[in-house]
Amino acid sequence: MSLSYRIESELKSGERIPLGTLGHLVVFSWSLAMVLYSTPENMLWIAGLCILVLLILYPGAWCSVINFRRFILLLLIAVPPVFFLGDVDSIFLGIPYSAIGSISSLHISLRFVVVLIAVEGLTSAVEISALAYILERFGLKGLGFSMGVAVNLLPSLQKSCTQSWLALRMRGGLRKNWWKGLMLFSLTTITCAIKRAEEIALAAESRAFSPDKTSPLPVKSSPIDWAVIILVCISILLII
Amino acid sequence: MKFSTRNLVTLAVFGTLWGISEITLGTLLKTLDIPLSGLLLSIIGLTIALIGRIFVPMKGSTIFIGAIAMLLKLFSLGGVVLGPMLGIFGEAIIAEILLSLTGKPRLGSLILAGGLSTLWVLAQPFVTNPILYGRSVLIVWEKVINNGGKLLGLGTNVAFWIMGILALIHLASGAVVGILSWTLGGALQKRVGISAEG
Repeated sequence: MSLSYRIESELKSGERIPLGTLGHLVVFSWSLAMVLYSTPENMLWIAGLCILVLLILYPGAWCSVINFRRFILLLLIAVPPVFFLGDVDSIFLGIPYSAIGSISSLHISLRFVVVLIAVEGLTSAVEISALAYILERFGLKGLGFSMGVAVNLLPSLQKSCTQSWLALRMRGGLRKNWWKGLMLFSLTTITCAIKRAEEIALAAESRAFSPDKTSPLPVKSSPIDWAVIILVCISILLII
Repeated sequence: MKFSTRNLVTLAVFGTLWGISEITLGTLLKTLDIPLSGLLLSIIGLTIALIGRIFVPMKGSTIFIGAIAMLLKLFSLGGVVLGPMLGIFGEAIIAEILLSLTGKPRLGSLILAGGLSTLWVLAQPFVTNPILYGRSVLIVWEKVINNGGKLLGLGTNVAFWIMGILALIHLASGAVVGILSWTLGGALQKRVGISAEG
């Protein structure tokens, strides 16, 4: 299964427009900026444009974006404003809802989809190490390495949090002595995270990694990057 | 600021923890429009950042944790991202300045850093809203007073009282952050067996 996935992703990367790291970053920042600054009046076409551009650049990104878990997450984020934001002044099929809230909800949903496709596209096209080296170039010595570690730590910390919570729940959760329970939960979670960090530090040190000795690698670039940057600047100026 | 590999990894861990709290809890609280949600997030985030400072007591470590959390916030889904990102970084900068001025982290310096950093949550709209969204300071003031008045059950005619009480709430919460980080940091060091020097 993993082999077929690999072949599939290789095929997808082969079909892609050959952008450099800078180009991918510019497209990612552009899509984020566009949806952040969109107003309720223009959000539909801006989000549509972003999705279209992202799907042209990353044809396979939508496959991994659409799944049941993310749909539930979208519902959790987008549904509450329909009922709780602003005055409940409209009725649809006998269900009262807020008109302002529903617009906000639509805005959030579109932003959710755009951000997801943009993140998926960027992470599938650019390696974390490349992002780290770009950060290093801005004078933040070691931040690139730390960011790489942070991104890799996200799933394991999430797992550690869940396991700590389940263990606490089996012992009564936060029903009695909730403050003590909360402290124990925090202590366990952070301890697990620090222990994991110890392992990562050991692995890095055993490979002779030293932040002082690292030199920034050349960033992968492509002639199309400049065309993309010009187009992005024009589109942002038009929106402003 | 020259960090060793071990320091960098430790800072990454604390930055990730702050980032996770902002991504998950932040999105949920902002979506539900819960009052003082920014303050609650700031309490959690700063507690993590100040514990990180206890583990890596070097200049620049708090700003490093803040930068990682801010970058991770970029991956947040739904809601507004730019404001919270600037909020995270602002809090980290204030805490960093105060902790750098006071030297090695102690209970007093952590309380001071926590108090003034959480106060940034109240001050932030007056700085970011005019720059980012073009709103005038007066409109921001009106909004803060209206929301504060509703929360405290006071009329808008006592605007300065509302502002004062809100500032006190933020400062007191910040002091709690300092005490919490000192207590938790000490307990964690005992558990993990790492000295304050990292």
